[in-house]
Amino acid sequence: MNIIACVKQVPDTEAQIKVKADGSGIEEGQIKWVMNPYDEFGVEEALKLKEKNGGDVTIVSVGPARAMETIRTALAMGADKGVHICDPAFDNADAYVIANALAAVIKTLPHDIIFCGQRAIDDDAGQVGAMLAEALGLPQLTLVTKLEFAGASVKVIRPIEGAQLSIETALPCIVTAQKGLNEPRYASLPGIMKAKKKPVDVKNAAALGIPTDAKAKVAKTIPPPARPPGKIVCGDDPAQKAAELGRLLREEAKAI
Amino acid sequence: MKEHEFFVGSEGREVFWNIPLPAFEIILFALTAVALAIFAYGVYRRWQMWKAMGKPEMRLDNIKERVKIVLAEVFLQKKVLKDPYPGVMHALIFFGFFVLIFGAAFDAGQHHVTEPLFSWTFLKGNFYLVFSFLMDLFGLFVLIGVVIALDRRFVKKPDRLGYRGTLDTTPDDVIVLLLIGAIIVTGFIAEALRIYVTNPSWEVWSFVGWLLSRTFTGVELDTARTLHQVIWWVHAALGLGFIAYIPYSRLLHIITTPANHFLTSFKPTGYIEPIRDFENAEAFGVGQLEEFTWKQIFDSDACTRCGRCQDGCPAYLTGKPLSPKKLVQDIKTYWLEKCPDPLKAMVAAKLAGAPAEGDAPAEETPAKALVGEVIDLHELWACTNCMYCMENCSSSIEHVPKIIDMRRYKVLTEADFSPELQLSCRNMENNSNPWGVGAHVRGDWAKELGVKTLAEDPNVEYLFYVGCSGSFDDRGKKISIAFAKILQEAGVSFGILGTEEGCCGDSAMRCGNEYLFQTLAQANIDVMNGYGVKKIIAICPHGYNALKKDYPNFGGNFEVYHHTEIIAKLIADRKIKLNEPLKGRFVYHDSCFLGRYNKIYDAPRQILKAIPGIDVVEMERKLEKSFCCGAGGARMWMEEDIGERINNARTKQAIEAGADMIAVGCPFCLTMMSDGIKDNHKEETMQAWDLAELVVKAMGREEVKPPVDTCAV
Repeated sequence: MNIIACVKQVPDTEAQIKVKADGSGIEEGQIKWVMNPYDEFGVEEALKLKEKNGGDVTIVSVGPARAMETIRTALAMGADKGVHICDPAFDNADAYVIANALAAVIKTLPHDIIFCGQRAIDDDAGQVGAMLAEALGLPQLTLVTKLEFAGASVKVIRPIEGAQLSIETALPCIVTAQKGLNEPRYASLPGIMKAKKKPVDVKNAAALGIPTDAKAKVAKTIPPPARPPGKIVCGDDPAQKAAELGRLLREEAKAI
Repeated sequence: MKEHEFFVGSEGREVFWNIPLPAFEIILFALTAVALAIFAYGVYRRWQMWKAMGKPEMRLDNIKERVKIVLAEVFLQKKVLKDPYPGVMHALIFFGFFVLIFGAAFDAGQHHVTEPLFSWTFLKGNFYLVFSFLMDLFGLFVLIGVVIALDRRFVKKPDRLGYRGTLDTTPDDVIVLLLIGAIIVTGFIAEALRIYVTNPSWEVWSFVGWLLSRTFTGVELDTARTLHQVIWWVHAALGLGFIAYIPYSRLLHIITTPANHFLTSFKPTGYIEPIRDFENAEAFGVGQLEEFTWKQIFDSDACTRCGRCQDGCPAYLTGKPLSPKKLVQDIKTYWLEKCPDPLKAMVAAKLAGAPAEGDAPAEETPAKALVGEVIDLHELWACTNCMYCMENCSSSIEHVPKIIDMRRYKVLTEADFSPELQLSCRNMENNSNPWGVGAHVRGDWAKELGVKTLAEDPNVEYLFYVGCSGSFDDRGKKISIAFAKILQEAGVSFGILGTEEGCCGDSAMRCGNEYLFQTLAQANIDVMNGYGVKKIIAICPHGYNALKKDYPNFGGNFEVYHHTEIIAKLIADRKIKLNEPLKGRFVYHDSCFLGRYNKIYDAPRQILKAIPGIDVVEMERKLEKSFCCGAGGARMWMEEDIGERINNARTKQAIEAGADMIAVGCPFCLTMMSDGIKDNHKEETMQAWDLAELVVKAMGREEVKPPVDTCAV
């Protein structure tokens, strides 16, 4: 079984995000980069499928040189090989360009099932999985929380408001992973060591022969407005504290 | 053999009185030879077994120190006697037997060596009288020891002689006790019969035999002679049987326990040997018995099942499946199953026509996983690394490194460990702290205090290594602030690393994630060495211990202090003055990583003593017998879902001591004790404080807040 998992390197959720002074993006210097958590669910599911049914798992990622770490992380978890699409031409790529780049690589690889995260936690666009399905002309199963493999088809669960859908499709297909699909594994140390020697193909835009012009451009990145500081009423006497709280709510917050 | 003349002024006795020589002597020699041969074979076979398995480990350096340890632990019974009742029991038997063996050696020495060769007898006169007295006295000691042992094993039945209420007494335990008792009793009877027949006045010095001989009044002398011969042979046979039985019974500890003391580790308490090669190993830690070192396996053969370890194990005492004794015994049982029997191997090799030399193939034993089957995973993960077992083991057994080795296997090789611990590990990887708070806020606590980072001013005497609790945990930050204020008030020159500081890695190391630990340690060491740091103060005993003992392995050689040491010194040097009286009955809870790991027991108590206005009480479990808070060994980051919570049990001990304030010197302990106070529903009347916080209050440096105040978040 040929399984593909697409991954994106994103800032750690706890990282301090500072917008560049000119609004052209964020400052990357101090950021700790990690694998997009939703992509991690995809990688885990890919590895589970492989362990159960045999085959191999290929990791595909678009990103700058540092994204190699994330590919290695997935290889350490147990994936077999990687493709790193790395070209400065993709620096300002939008979802459309990324999806096409991924599609260009995946077309050259045998693929029965392709996993993406349902969205990346950095720009929260949630478009790549769907666009990739279009580009490849494959059925797409989005926001999947459970997956059952049955030979030539898969059956998945997709929660919706107040119910859940059970959807089936023939392979090959694209699955976008949602939280709840699985608990991603912790890479073993032998896995980490082996990952260093696993093959990763590095491809540039020219090699893929695809356009790199973004259809949508980020005009400006603006930090959220500073939140007015909250207040905590401190003190030892509950009655006095309650009185002070009441006063603040009435006079300052004008809530009562 | 010439007749001796014994009379008042030349008191003594004939060594082989009533024993027809030389016929009986020949039989006795033959029996002795058989007993020694059985003994020698048993020891040889065991020796082969000790050699058969395990990785190499050097434990034969520094022989002089090793001999000293054997003298203290074996001949002075130092650790054995720390527990008075069973200690005295063992000491009575040990010293008794020791002296009696000398007695037998004197008898044999005179009879077979000095008299035939030099016509010199020394068992006479006053020397004989004292000798007789001592023999009887120490014989009596052994008997008392045996009675106490029987009373403990069959009447008192302390929990530590079993596991969860089930005694682990084996037939061997009973045989050994009765054998020892019988040797002494038959010895006394034989002596009494001899005294009864020969009746010399000076034998009143052999007071037990003398008193016993009085009970034979009326017995025909000939009957007494016959009876004496019978008893004498029984006594001799039991004595020889004892020797032969040693290697096949718990008596083997006569050899293995002193040997284990001799083979003790000279590394600092709690030191864990780092994994030195990550690149080329296929597996990490210990997943198979033979991946232990020979010494780690030998340990289990030195265990006497005394249960001292179990008596203070926080996991065991709160109902977790772990008992250090059981763990060691389970390893031993598995070793006995798995270890190739050298005799069988030799026979098999002979039958197969192969040379008997060399390593014979191991016996076919069903494959059992060491970790998971021999040692249950709940046992493995219940350990808090508190070091009670190792500190109190009277056989110098090293439990904790075995546990960490097995955890390493689970974490590094199999990556099979609890999800909450995986999360903590990821947090340490991504944000260099187990909480997973953004690494960029690490130095924020110090912003309003004017504490400088080494980047701002590297020319300071001390680096204050704050650690994760002191940087990210809201309560922990208060300790950092308090300690920084103390240093500022005392005019100590110090700085912090701010965002350049990283997690010390203790939790990673102790959960078995050695790879992560070394990554974290190396990052800190590189920064510290980059600033030329020499002296470091830590407020967390975990960081203190790791920096002091483990960082030197990776090029981090610093003088490391705990903040209680520094504060105690500042008080003693009158650099800070504690004039503001506080209120409360305080109890100090010994942090394991401060106490047992680093023997810092006095400094925290000196600080408490210097605070005016307070009462200080002690808990029953204190100092080297202190009870863990439950957070060590990376337990801080794991669910505790079996039995009672360790921190609640410890808090109860503080309540029982009559305290309404718990003083600690560790942020992990502070969290655990604070939670314990809440769980014991004492939050209205009881509080937990770090000593630094108390000192700041007593210095009158705590900010005086208005009764009601609002502060920004």
